[in-house]
Amino acid sequence: MVGVELGWAATLHRLWSSVTVITARDQLADLVLPPLLTEPGVLAVWGLRHDPAGGISAYRWAGLPLRQEDRAEAEKIAARELPVAPIGPELESLRAQGARQVLSARLDVPGAEAGSMLVVAGADADLPRLQACLAQIVDVTREAIRRLLAGRTEDEQQMRDALLAEASLQMDAVLDTTQTMHRAARMAVPAIAEGCLVYVLEDDKLLLRSAVHVDMRRLDTALANPAYAACLSDLASRAVAGNAERVHSGDTDSAGTRTIHPQLLRARGRVLGVLLFLFDRGDDRIPPPDFLRDLAYRAALAIDNGELYEQRRRDVVTMQQHLLPSRLPVVPGIAIAASYAVGDRVTEVGGDFYDVVTRTDGVVAALVGDVCGRGPEAAALTGMARHTLGTLLTEGVSPARALGRLNTGLRRDGSWRFVTAGVAMLRPAAKGLAVQWNSAGHPAPIVLRRGRSAQAARGGGIPLGVLPQATIGRSRLLLAPGDALLMFTDGLTEARDADGVMFDHAALWQALDRLRDAPVETLVHELSQASAIFGGAVADDIAVLAVRAEEHHDG
Amino acid sequence: MGETDRDLVLVVEDSDEDVEAIGRAIGRSHPQVRLEFLRSGAEVMPRLTAAGATLPGMVLLDLNMPGEGGLDVIKRIRAEPAVSALILVVFTSSEDQAEADACYAAGADSYIFKPINFALFRTVLHQTLDYWRSRG
Repeated sequence: MVGVELGWAATLHRLWSSVTVITARDQLADLVLPPLLTEPGVLAVWGLRHDPAGGISAYRWAGLPLRQEDRAEAEKIAARELPVAPIGPELESLRAQGARQVLSARLDVPGAEAGSMLVVAGADADLPRLQACLAQIVDVTREAIRRLLAGRTEDEQQMRDALLAEASLQMDAVLDTTQTMHRAARMAVPAIAEGCLVYVLEDDKLLLRSAVHVDMRRLDTALANPAYAACLSDLASRAVAGNAERVHSGDTDSAGTRTIHPQLLRARGRVLGVLLFLFDRGDDRIPPPDFLRDLAYRAALAIDNGELYEQRRRDVVTMQQHLLPSRLPVVPGIAIAASYAVGDRVTEVGGDFYDVVTRTDGVVAALVGDVCGRGPEAAALTGMARHTLGTLLTEGVSPARALGRLNTGLRRDGSWRFVTAGVAMLRPAAKGLAVQWNSAGHPAPIVLRRGRSAQAARGGGIPLGVLPQATIGRSRLLLAPGDALLMFTDGLTEARDADGVMFDHAALWQALDRLRDAPVETLVHELSQASAIFGGAVADDIAVLAVRAEEHHDG
Repeated sequence: MGETDRDLVLVVEDSDEDVEAIGRAIGRSHPQVRLEFLRSGAEVMPRLTAAGATLPGMVLLDLNMPGEGGLDVIKRIRAEPAVSALILVVFTSSEDQAEADACYAAGADSYIFKPINFALFRTVLHQTLDYWRSRG
């Protein structure tokens, strides 16, 4: 039995203490190899790390270096797993330096790359003692690797939890499906894979919609090869058909990828596409299939939500268009234009409306209104309000009576919703266009006179549906040739910037100064756009209707 | 131009928090790697092109910095033959795909997202360094 004096015991104690503080396997060699060099007769201590494919992934040494030309022989010695072997002529350079024998020990830790330690010793070395010391060093090393592996497993679990949380956050933050697909791929790379491709089913065809790689140039080059692209596409198709498994290439493929894992994108019982995860890393670093499935499920849900949102929004825009006149009448002497912008985040039909109708006596009625609230009930009321007012005004009923009839109708239906509305009656006059404005609680229109600053006209009245009797505010004005009247809903003026300032505080009037003499089509569209840009987006629906007395109007 | 030190990573980052986090993450995953920090884009070219300067194995670049941003730095490095072969990794919290496209067009090797969670942050850097160091 070998006696162990205090010096070696102190060394071992230091090693065991250090086991708890190292964070990477690369730190191990500097810790465990040098101590054996202090033993009499020891010339070198070498460490070999074995990769799963049977090769050596790292060479380390203390003392005489493990030279390139000696490595093959060192590997043979390690493979023989003999506790002690003589140094043969293959290692002549070592023999020349007094080396005569080599002690060998292998260490295996399940789940981690195995290692071998070789101690090169001279003829005078105390072999039994060295063997005991080596065994103790192997124990320390094995424990260090086991702890690193446990730490890594815990770190990976933490990372995967964080990735799922962050991926959900990132993907839920957008409703645009293209962005969602890109974010899903970008979150995965390089944390869990070297690359990620997103294939999406569109009209029964599988299309590559996003491709992300830690080395994008490499992936682009690989995808530019039609055979490689077809191979990936085929794998994705087979995944959709339910018969694709993880693919291992014997050697790395043209993209340097060792493993490709297909994962179906499925949400609410519908297959949306496939994620292909590309791995360069060894199998031990590839996340478990359950995790990849979970990540793909979250991506699929986010993509599906985006698609549902898009569908709903398209429906809203279509329905909104049906609540508005398909075209406006052409009236000699009056230029007319309207614009309607649906709010960006809107998924329900809004209540803004406008129309222009002509009476048989040539008087033109331009009307604009806003039913409070959104959704199917508001949409039904919107249709009813526009048609009621339009029909009555066309038949020659006065604006006050038409608005009164609508008020009665709303009250009779017992709806809690109210409606603001404004009607401009336009009559040719000697010096332009005479306007009688009738307002039921609607925002005052704006008058744009040639060469002068824009001015708000009068509003007044009470919204319809509130009181048993309609209260209408009336005012008159004259539009000279070139002057225009701008009618709108409150979505235009109430857009707010990041500081909460409303569009009509200053920016509206600056935009009007700029657009005052523009054609009415330009006026309504650019004004609507200016409001949206001011607010960062179209927060609410915006209806704008403009009429201008034309220059050649001869009264 | 001096030699290249593969164990040296040049980090261009203006945020104190990110400088600390990058140091902590790489210090743990790659203890053999030395980090050199520059706090603005304008410091990069003078550092790389100084007489006898040691070149890093990789440059880790923040994108949004006051003054010269990461995109400008990429363009300047790629335009200077003496340093144009450097590995350039953009490490950013930006989610703008147009920025990613612009960085790749300018010559970035990687465009990596900067996570909020530290465990993820560390993993992303770990894998990025592993990848490029294995190819360097």
